[in-house]
Amino acid sequence: MPSMNSVLLISFLLFSIGVVGVLIRRNALIILMCAELMLNAANLNLIAFARHSGTVHGQAFALLVMGLAAAEVAVGLALVVALYRKKSTIQVDELDLLKG
Amino acid sequence: MPFAQQLWQAMLRDLPLISGPLTLFFAATIMLWPGDLLLPSNKKHIWAPITLGVLAVSAALVANTANGSGFSSMFQVDGFTRGFQLLCTAAAFITVVLSQPQLNALQEQTVEYYALILFSLGGMQLLVGATDLVSVYFSVELMALCIYILVAYLRTQERSIEAGVKYFLLGAFSSGILLYGISLLFAAGGGVTTNLLQLNQKLALATHNNSLLVFAGVLMVLVGFAFKVAAVPFHMWSPDAYEGAPTPITAYLSMAPKAAALAAFLRVFGTGLASVHSDWSAPLGFIAAASMILGNVAALRQQSIKRMLAYSSIAHVGYMLLGVLSKDPLGGARAVWLYLLTYLLMQSGAFAVIIHLQGTGEGERLDDFRGLARRRPMLAFAMMVFMLSLAGIPPLLGFFSKFYLFMLAIQQGQYLLTTIALLTSAVAATYYLGVVNLMYFKEPTGVQLPRLGTALALTVGCTCGLVLVGTCFGPWLLDWAQTITWF
Repeated sequence: MPSMNSVLLISFLLFSIGVVGVLIRRNALIILMCAELMLNAANLNLIAFARHSGTVHGQAFALLVMGLAAAEVAVGLALVVALYRKKSTIQVDELDLLKG
Repeated sequence: MPFAQQLWQAMLRDLPLISGPLTLFFAATIMLWPGDLLLPSNKKHIWAPITLGVLAVSAALVANTANGSGFSSMFQVDGFTRGFQLLCTAAAFITVVLSQPQLNALQEQTVEYYALILFSLGGMQLLVGATDLVSVYFSVELMALCIYILVAYLRTQERSIEAGVKYFLLGAFSSGILLYGISLLFAAGGGVTTNLLQLNQKLALATHNNSLLVFAGVLMVLVGFAFKVAAVPFHMWSPDAYEGAPTPITAYLSMAPKAAALAAFLRVFGTGLASVHSDWSAPLGFIAAASMILGNVAALRQQSIKRMLAYSSIAHVGYMLLGVLSKDPLGGARAVWLYLLTYLLMQSGAFAVIIHLQGTGEGERLDDFRGLARRRPMLAFAMMVFMLSLAGIPPLLGFFSKFYLFMLAIQQGQYLLTTIALLTSAVAATYYLGVVNLMYFKEPTGVQLPRLGTALALTVGCTCGLVLVGTCFGPWLLDWAQTITWF
């Protein structure tokens, strides 16, 4: 059984990759993937600590989060497709119509 | 079948608690299928009155739901829940009414628009009663996912899609942070519970052992919520989303999700994280002060009225966070509720005026308000009432709610924050009075305005009337807020 600190460390690394990815990548799809990575980092915490305490509460939460992630991707991809049809690009730094 | 039986009994016991949101979900689903299939395509406009009917039924059910807690204490109905649920429902009702001119003009009457409003409202109604981090998170997401689509609803307009994509990407980012914060709090509590009350006790004990874990978790949950209510420095999405979204949805964005997210803010931080108040009070104080200052200062230099209202709503959130900061969560909840109620009236009235001016393609820019008093004296008068009231100028309605909120903050000894709030209110008066100045003391542009439609006229009339009536009964409003209670 790995120690809880190592679980926290791994999940934090995963989360950091997600955050950094969202902040530095400019492709809408990659940003979406990095956001999903952040959700999975949280899932890792939830599952590991639920297993550690011997309850199922956190595991059920993680299952629901996976469902939610799928819904989020569905909405996100639809928006990205609509964007591509309109602008023929999915680079977010070319979204410059609204500012100020 | 003991398990099935138990499940059935639990459902019978608990389902009445969520009768309001359930009505919305059922109605929206039936509207999408088979409702839309059976309706000829030239009759789509009747979805609006149907939606209004569903909203009215839901509001009646919400108002009559008895106090109680259910779904393994994930959802709780009390005065607080009912009060905020009714606020959100009223905001959705006004949004549907305000949507009519634009949807008819653009021939974009579809069932999806109304179904998404109903689904997002269902999410909000669940959110304000959520007493478990699981239900809080999923209600927030249900609300947000529907609103991303609504913002990008005019898919033939580049601005609308751009606003939707920006809002979605930042929203997905913030929901990742929120969930990670929740998972850290779950871990800090020993991995046994996400219930707010139980978590509160666990965290009180855990503070000595893993204070870093608790602190990081609390901060991340705070950031996640700050994104949802658009508080500085997590506000970047809000001016863009406000400007690009269809104007009625802008009105919706500035009222309903804000009310719901602030309610969740109050509930999560007031009950769930009360034992670690010292961890979040300083960062939240900073967020509140930054929102007041940046929101008001940035609003000063906007040329688009939608952007101006976006920045001013950031500032209003800053004021309302004073209520969340309060060490007396119930008093804070009452003050915030009252503030949101008056804000809803003024904001929906102001948006009705903007949507009317937009009918001819203008109304986006502040300059379109030039000389409105000479062209449309009644409309200009109503707009003046809304603007002065939003600025919190006594004796108008907006003054009472601000007064109540600031008084509470002073009683709690937050002198610095209250001083900032008062000073920035003076800044706010500058740009609100700027609109009045444009309407009354500038030459008109000469463009002929269309006739005021019935729906907009009713909205402007009702909200302006209510603001003026509320002005006369301001002190009684404070008593009314006492019905906001939790057990």
